[in-house]
This record gives sequence, structure tokens and C-alpha cells, in this order.
Amino acid sequence: MIEVSALSVHLAHRQILHDISFSAAPGAITAVIGPNGSGKSTLMKALCRDNAYTGTVRINGHDLMDMSPVQAAALRAVLPQSSSLPFPFTVYEVVSMGLTAGRSGVPLSMNKRLPEMALASVDLAGFGGRYYGEISGGEQQRVQLARVLCQVWTPVLDGAPRYLFLDEPVSSLDVKHQLMIMDVARRYADAGGGVIAILHDLNLAAMYADSIVALREGRVAGHGTPAEVLTDDLIETVFDCRLSVGATPPAGMPFVLPQSAGRHAAPASIPKVA
Amino acid sequence: MASAATMFEHDGASPERAAGDRSNLGRLAIVVLAVLLLVMMVVSMTTGASGASAWSIIGSWFGVVPEHAEQALRDHAVIYNIRLPRMLLGTLVGAALAVSGLLMQGLFRNPLADPGLVGVSAGAGLGAVGIIVLGTTMLAPLTSLLGIYSLQIAAFVGGLITTFILYRVATRSGQTAIATMLLAGIAIAALAGAITGVLVYVATDSQLRDLTFWGLGSLSGANWTKMAASGPIIIASLIAAGFLAKGLNALTLGEATAAHLGVPVQRFKLMTIVAVAGATGASVAVSGGIGFVGIVVPHLLRLIIGPNHRYLLPATALLGASFLLMADAISRLIVAPAELPIGIITAAFGGPFFLWILLRKRAAFAW
Repeated sequence: MIEVSALSVHLAHRQILHDISFSAAPGAITAVIGPNGSGKSTLMKALCRDNAYTGTVRINGHDLMDMSPVQAAALRAVLPQSSSLPFPFTVYEVVSMGLTAGRSGVPLSMNKRLPEMALASVDLAGFGGRYYGEISGGEQQRVQLARVLCQVWTPVLDGAPRYLFLDEPVSSLDVKHQLMIMDVARRYADAGGGVIAILHDLNLAAMYADSIVALREGRVAGHGTPAEVLTDDLIETVFDCRLSVGATPPAGMPFVLPQSAGRHAAPASIPKVA
Repeated sequence: MASAATMFEHDGASPERAAGDRSNLGRLAIVVLAVLLLVMMVVSMTTGASGASAWSIIGSWFGVVPEHAEQALRDHAVIYNIRLPRMLLGTLVGAALAVSGLLMQGLFRNPLADPGLVGVSAGAGLGAVGIIVLGTTMLAPLTSLLGIYSLQIAAFVGGLITTFILYRVATRSGQTAIATMLLAGIAIAALAGAITGVLVYVATDSQLRDLTFWGLGSLSGANWTKMAASGPIIIASLIAAGFLAKGLNALTLGEATAAHLGVPVQRFKLMTIVAVAGATGASVAVSGGIGFVGIVVPHLLRLIIGPNHRYLLPATALLGASFLLMADAISRLIVAPAELPIGIITAAFGGPFFLWILLRKRAAFAW
């Protein structure tokens, strides 16, 4: 369980986050939504200790501030929005960097093969020998996800759940791979791990998240199941834009929803982890 | 769809080498470079103006009696008192220069960083010149306290201060701006050069002679005293560098991501800066400014075995040592019995190489 209570962040004498409190359960995907500048990335950076904050963040009952970098690295892995590399690493070498702190959870002799397994799980099997700088942006993002998966490969280690922090994990992906990456997150949660993901696509949030935190101007504007949060009124309050949930466009106008892929059971049917 | 049960487990199959895993190539390179270094060490021991041959020494170990005993005695003196310390110092200085280049490139996440280019050597040089010129007057308490280590420690402190300033100026929230780094390096080098100039201006004749000898960028003054003063600092820095490999890999993803991967970033950066300053300072103190080793050697090896620091770091140390021993041998042979400053040889190789890097990667540097 990740418990955030009374979290506030000041950057350059401006308060970016005000008194944020929510919790993210293992076995569940917690989506963070909100307009640009609402503090989503700042929240993610605070959860990663990149920014100083007041208030407390607890992971599995331990205060984040008391953890060493190695201890924190064994409990959660972080997918950044984008990563460029100054040197010509191969894809395999980049994914191997996930093993820096060495708590993947698999036997040591297996660590060598883990990068390939992680690459296969993001639909990049056989990409190990390519140069990171020579693959597309979307492929780079998936390579980074494979690296992140390597770091906390087993979703539960020593009986304690581990977590994926994903900062806009599907922002530069085509629709097939958006669904694929969200499926990886779903499976990680189903296997007992926890996921906190910043998402811009409300349909993906509705489809995959067990719980949604909506931010507006650095405050929690709504927190609950997708059905509770994704209402006409809340969307208008948060995004400043009048939309109708569940309304279809006029007949004859095409529209494509990710839900139509039919690869994923409705979130309601997934047993909640207390 | 893979079920949750199999997805994050492992199948227990035997490990095999994966595509893109260049660790075998790295290991092979280290072995080859170690052999090359041994060869260069022998070459270095047998090269020189006196014509003394290391083979007669090696022969004497195995009971081969030389034809002229007097000659053998002189050879013995040349080899033990001149060539051996010079060879060891050349090995250490070459490794130190190459490794400090590699560490800076990793720290700044930039293949162009090098202590010589961005002013760290100039800062270390200022420290060394300060001790030579002011060591008997203003800094006399310091030199009497530090003894034979004065020059080394002054150069170390000079390099340390420069690296800190450079890092603070050029790095904002974990990202180093290339242009800022190079420009700041030029500014720092100019400032250090100006102060060095003032010191040279006020130096006495005998100090000027010391300065000239020191500043030539040469191993020609190598002896056991210099070896005793610089050797331990360089060896300590190289050992420290060995512990930085994993962190340097992680740091290429940026400081934030390195921290997420479990690297204690602040402590890591401090350790890297101290290792760079130690290796550069001790090298500059003993041999003056020898340029381009720190750029050429890591870059060449990165092209061959890739940027994984676990293998790149030892390979860089080995090739740096071989490169400097080779340059030193050439400097002794090319105008024998006189000697060319070694800095001329390394610059003659390094300058064109540096231009080649720029041509190859012009697009990447289009700031």
C-alpha cells in the first residue's frame, strides 16, 4: 500500500501541490488524471523523491524519507516520460540497467536472460542487439518500460508488494501498443503488484484503472472508482471543458474507443485487494 | 494473452548469451589490452638513449653472466633508477589521464568532457605552479607540512576546485548543457592561466627553471621520489574509479533515473569528482599537461566494445597506459639522444582524432 498524506510541494516559492492525500493499493492500477499544469508530474516527482515535499509518503508502511536509494529501488521502479542517452548503448544494455540495484527477484543466474524476457513482454523480442539511439521514440519508451520491469520483475518480493510508477507511459505510442502497455500494467497489478500511472487518455483510465485521482491546480478534485470520478460535472470542474460521459457522436461520424478492443474485462469484475 | 502467473516469473531455462550483450567482447578486449600493456612495458624498459638493454637484466636473473661486468653495472643503474620509475609512472599517468577523461564524460553525460579541455588540468596546473613559486615564501608552512606531497596535493586541490565550479555552473537539475560546460571550461582555464601567468612573472630564475622542466609535459624527470609522491594518489583514484562503473552506466539515463535505480547520486557525484581531481592532479603534478589521452582512448574503446563502463573502465585504464608508454617511447626515439616533450606526441595523435569525432558527429553537436 502506498499512502500519501498531506503532501505539499513548493518550487521556487510557489506552492505546486496542496495537501494531497490518497492511497494506492497493491493489486490495483491507480490513475492520476488532470489538465496540464495541474501538478501530476510534480506529484510523481515527489513520490520518487526528486522534489522535496512536506507531508508523508509511506510505501508498505515505511516512510519514504527513511529509505536508502537501494531500499527504495527494491520497492518501486519509475518510468520517466522520455530518456535520451549520450552514448551508443544497445537495447539489451539499456534494459540491463534495470538490474543496477540487483533486486529483480529472480535467481542471480537468471538475471542475464531477464532483459530478453522483459523486452518480449513489451513486444520488442529480438530488439536486444539494436542501438537505442536508432529505434523510434515509441520503441524507446517501451525499452524504458522493459528496463523498469527488470528492476522489480516479481510483483511481490519477500511477501511485500512492489510498485510501478509510470509517468505518461503511453504518450508516444500507437493504439496497439497503448493497449499492450496498459495490459502489462494490468497483469502486474493482477499478480499482486501496484501501479500508479499518469494518464492523459480518459478512456484508457476508465478502461484500466481501479481507482482514479483527479488533480486540479495542485489539489485533489476527485478520488474514487472510474465510475465515481468520470462524471460530467467532475470532468467540467477539473478540465474546464463541458463533456458528456458516455455520449456517442451523431450517427455517421466515426469514433474509435480503446474499449472496443475487447481484450480486457471490465475493472469492476476484478477483485479488490483490501 | 499471457496469464498473470507466467508473465513475471521465469522459466528456469539455462542462461545463454543474449543479442546486444557485449560483455564477452569487453572481457576479450581487457585481456588483449593487458597483453598489449605488458608488451609496451617491455618496450619502454628497452628504449632509451643509453642503449642499456633490459634483456641483460632479465638474463642476470636467470644466471646469464654478461660479457662486460662494468657495462652491466651501468645498465643496471640506468634501468633501475631511470627507466623503471619512468615506465611505472608512465603506466600510472596514462591510466589516470584516460580514466579521468572517462569519468568526466560519464559525470557530464557527454563524450567531449575531458580534464584537459574543460579547465581541470589548468586548475591543477595552477596549484602546482603556486607551490613551485610560493612554496618557499607565502606557502612555506604548507610545503613543510606536506613534504614531498606538496606539489601533488596542491595540484589535486586545484583540480578539485575547478571540477566543482565547472559542475555547479554547467549542470542544472541533473542536465549538463554542452555549450555552457565548454564555455565555462574555457573561462576557468583562462582565469587559471592568467593567475599562473602572474606567478610565472614573479618567479625567480631557479623557480623558472623548475617551472620549465615541469611544464614541458614530459615524463623525462621521472624518478622514485616522484613515483612515491604521485603513485599512491593515482592508484587510490583508479581503485575508487573501479567502484563507479555501475553508477556511471545508470547516470547516462540522467540523475533522476539513476537515483530511481538505486544509485546514491549526490555521494556518487562527489566520489567521481574527487577521483577525477586525484587522478588529474597527481598526473599534472608529475608530468605537466599531457593532452587528449582522456578524449581519444575512451572514445576509441567506446566504438569497439560499447559504452558499458564495467568493461570500458578497465579497458580505458589499460589502453591509456599503453598509449602513453608508446608516446613516451616515440618521444625518446624520434630525436634521440634528445627528447621531444610527450605532450607533442599525444597532441599530434589526439588533435586529428578529435576533429574526426567532430566530423562524424557534427549533427549531434548542432547547438
